[in-house]
Amino acid sequence: MLRFELTTQLVRVRTLIALACLAGVPVAAAVPFAGQPGQRNGDESGLFGASPYSAANHAMASLEFLAPLLLPIVVALLACAIASADRDWGVRRYLYVAPVTRERLLAAKLAATALATLIAVAVVMVAGLGAGTVLFGWHRFHLIGAAPLTTAEATGRVVTATGYALLCMLAMAAFAFTLGLLLPRGAEALAVAVGFVVIASIINGQHALHAVAAVLPVHYWQNWVGLFDPAGAHDLALGAAVQLATVVLCVAAGWLVLRHRDPAA
Amino acid sequence: MSVPQVTIQAEGLTKRYRRHRAVDRLSFQVGEGEICALLGPNGAGKTSTMRMLIGLSTPDSGTARIAGTPVRLGAPVLRRVGVLIDGPAFVPHLSGTANLRLLWSVGGGAWPPPALDEALDLAGLGVAVGRRVKGYSMGMRQRLMLAAALMRRPDVLVLDEPANGLDPAEVRALRHHLTDRCATGATVLVSSHQLAEVQQLATHAVVLNHGRLAAAGPLDELVGPHASLEDAYLAMTDGHHDAAL
Repeated sequence: MLRFELTTQLVRVRTLIALACLAGVPVAAAVPFAGQPGQRNGDESGLFGASPYSAANHAMASLEFLAPLLLPIVVALLACAIASADRDWGVRRYLYVAPVTRERLLAAKLAATALATLIAVAVVMVAGLGAGTVLFGWHRFHLIGAAPLTTAEATGRVVTATGYALLCMLAMAAFAFTLGLLLPRGAEALAVAVGFVVIASIINGQHALHAVAAVLPVHYWQNWVGLFDPAGAHDLALGAAVQLATVVLCVAAGWLVLRHRDPAA
Repeated sequence: MSVPQVTIQAEGLTKRYRRHRAVDRLSFQVGEGEICALLGPNGAGKTSTMRMLIGLSTPDSGTARIAGTPVRLGAPVLRRVGVLIDGPAFVPHLSGTANLRLLWSVGGGAWPPPALDEALDLAGLGVAVGRRVKGYSMGMRQRLMLAAALMRRPDVLVLDEPANGLDPAEVRALRHHLTDRCATGATVLVSSHQLAEVQQLATHAVVLNHGRLAAAGPLDELVGPHASLEDAYLAMTDGHHDAAL
């Protein structure tokens, strides 16, 4: 059943185009600085300012740039398609009579969604590391306003940051997945999921709406950036807990929807 | 004469959609080696009945059984059943072969299925089976779906309007195939509005009207004194008003 989801969704022109767009951004962002490796990116601070110093710097700057909008859009696209495409095509009834149980169908879809999310995050990191390696080379991780990180420190923080970002994207995928099961068409689910990210980001920027923003998973998505800031990271554990809670709630809601939805619909 | 073993059994099936009772206390059975036509006007409850028989719909009351086993969604007994319900459906960006492979593999079987060659012969798609399904005509999709239902060499076939979109030669080939399958002990339940075709194909019939059983039995007995199945059918359903005009 997992093979069905992977074959029908991941090896699909539209999926490959979406992943290519993700990979294209780190490459396009690196090219203008190809002639000045090891120099600060203008007056930019933080990860963006240190991007041309090393491959790892560029990869993390790419993740910081893509994580608020383009990466969640691609993740939502994949998750909505995995949740709803078989129903939109009318194939789901033939899966049930193959026979496939609801439990097996949901498990395969969740596994495929998690794998698709992992691939999307990996594409950003691989493209960032690849473009950075070619144009800037492998050097110690540079921090603006602090000493460079040792290899062990940099590896630990990159792995932690990437894992955190992956967890945030899994929360996004779970939300989009549930919408894909709930709403009549996959396109509607994608529109609502993207709308949610945009509106949540706007709310997140309004100090007066902090109480609302604090309960939304989007509010914590960029907390990992603090791992590369001399001031340090904050609320990583809280952010991870909110993302996990979102995943659990959405999966539970998705199961309820699938259980009560007319299988012939 | 030995009594055929019951393969498909509906016991008091009732299905409501909000206040509308689509199927009302319906009971019938189909024996091994029989081809049973499920007949009735549009909205009589044929498709709702078929959905309950293959677990796609849960009856509000009553039980559907296949080979003596109560049917629910995804029940293992469905491995023995070939299904065409609510029209053909495929992954559009994959080829016909890739679709057959996926539909077979999700059931856990090793490729190829036991009756793939004969199913593809019946579908008659030739090299088109390697092309993407989104370029197929309605008839090609229907034939590919029939191939998907038949490739596992099922003991039981539940086919909702299988002749839709087929030309006369394809309808004849399908009829011969189903007759041959029943001669080897398979059981077929088929819904159709094409009564002339049903008269050539079926050994038995179940007639529904307003969700209720109007008549059931061997086809010869149902036709009885009438000149054709069509006349008998119209007499059993509300259509007799039109027939009299």
